[in-house]
Amino acid sequence: MVAPGSEDRPRQGRRPFRAQLNKLRWLVLSLVFLMLLALPFLAVYQSYVAAHAYDLMSPSEQHFYDFMAWLTGPITDNPEQDFNLVKGTTWSGTLFGLRLSDPLAVLSQIAAEHRVFTAFLLTGLIPLVATLLLGRIYCGWICPATFLYELNDNFAVVLRRLGIRLPHRRLDTRFKYLVLLVGLVLSAATGAVVTAAIYPPAIIGREIYYAVAAGGFGSGAAFFLVTLLFDLLVARRGFCRYLCPGGALYSLLGRYRLVRIQRVVGDCNDCAKCNAVCEFGLDPMRDGFGQECNNCSACIAVCPTDALVFRLTPRDQAPQGPGHLGREYKRSQALQSGEAGEGGRTEAA
Amino acid sequence: MVRWLRPPGSLAEDGFLSRCIRCGQCGEACPNRCIQFFGVGNGLVHFGTPYIRPRDKACILCMRCGEICPTQAIQPIPRKAKAILAKVRMGKAVVDKHLCLSYRGETCGVCYRACPLQDVALKVQRLEQPVVTEACVGCGLCERACIQMPQAIRIIPHHAA
Repeated sequence: MVAPGSEDRPRQGRRPFRAQLNKLRWLVLSLVFLMLLALPFLAVYQSYVAAHAYDLMSPSEQHFYDFMAWLTGPITDNPEQDFNLVKGTTWSGTLFGLRLSDPLAVLSQIAAEHRVFTAFLLTGLIPLVATLLLGRIYCGWICPATFLYELNDNFAVVLRRLGIRLPHRRLDTRFKYLVLLVGLVLSAATGAVVTAAIYPPAIIGREIYYAVAAGGFGSGAAFFLVTLLFDLLVARRGFCRYLCPGGALYSLLGRYRLVRIQRVVGDCNDCAKCNAVCEFGLDPMRDGFGQECNNCSACIAVCPTDALVFRLTPRDQAPQGPGHLGREYKRSQALQSGEAGEGGRTEAA
Repeated sequence: MVRWLRPPGSLAEDGFLSRCIRCGQCGEACPNRCIQFFGVGNGLVHFGTPYIRPRDKACILCMRCGEICPTQAIQPIPRKAKAILAKVRMGKAVVDKHLCLSYRGETCGVCYRACPLQDVALKVQRLEQPVVTEACVGCGLCERACIQMPQAIRIIPHHAA
């Protein structure tokens, strides 16, 4: 279907690769979440293997053991050792021997100890560089909370279609910087990493482990449910936009990111689908990206004229005005030259 | 929560709290699954930090948690008796002679048999009466094994002593 306003330049043939990135992003988000689900089961299986006591297990434990043995059999014949290669969560983990940590974990730990512990600082280096180059890429592409928040957002769409009215308030996006600051100050004051208690991805990683291997969900799950309800009933993607301390840190780090989404004004038809789809409430149609953009590429995927592109530049474009394929621009051109549409197209080319 | 132990090789309590980022990898790595995690019940400062309650399940001193800890809140210590004796300070076992079967004249010796540092950390006299030495690291296997209820031997953690 051709979107309104794009009649004179319909999309032809295959879409560019960048339009498929959103699917790739969902694949990555799903894989990360699946991994967080799988790791506790693997850890339990490891402990069963290490016990060398198959005959002493209860029937249900034996079923679990058999199932895991069947599942992991093709991958490894030494689960006790091999599954040590991947451990932990996105908060801090070991990936095939490479230790990675959330920059927020590193910063909070420094605040709590009042000192830099170099070995731990180094584990946050790769995510830090990635954020400096790519912006809030963690928020859009990896965060297990994003996975659930976006599903929650889709659920809200279903509810709206059913006629249930959900408020959608806009709060101040700067509030999350205050949350970050308070979290760090509290960490410094108490000498304990308290940001871990209010940071959803850290909570999810822990809670999945608790639920699978430690006998049930803890209080973090309740906190996360509240944030889901907040997103549903108060503000769309509200926690990420307005409250998340990690999001605040990444926004700051990603302010001068090198990889940016930008609008090609000559191809834009002002359909505003990008603005509607943007989970972070940004304004791609009028070049309003800023430090909040997490390069999730949802706007690129939804754009009917492929007018949004990735570019290597440390700054956003200045507002370019209405898209050249849109009615507003054509009308203004017609008023200026008396020649409908044509002038604008040649100017753009 | 009255009495808990930190995983083997943990820093002293204040240092531990400022290092631990609550990632939970120690619990995930523990093959014995004896490491549990605090909820909000013990205060926000302890939230998400690992602990061991020896009567539930005690530490087998495999030292895997220290290997995986990203911040060395749990120090990496090689799994050698010498290194463990020198560096692990979870707590110290204390025998209640009024409760202990051996001290009451009924030869028991279960704690002695459970001790991974037998004759170093825990010695026995006649009637298998246990005597805890200064070398005890506080893994809690004796407390876990004690057949008395309440237990006649228990670990007093260093942060509580």
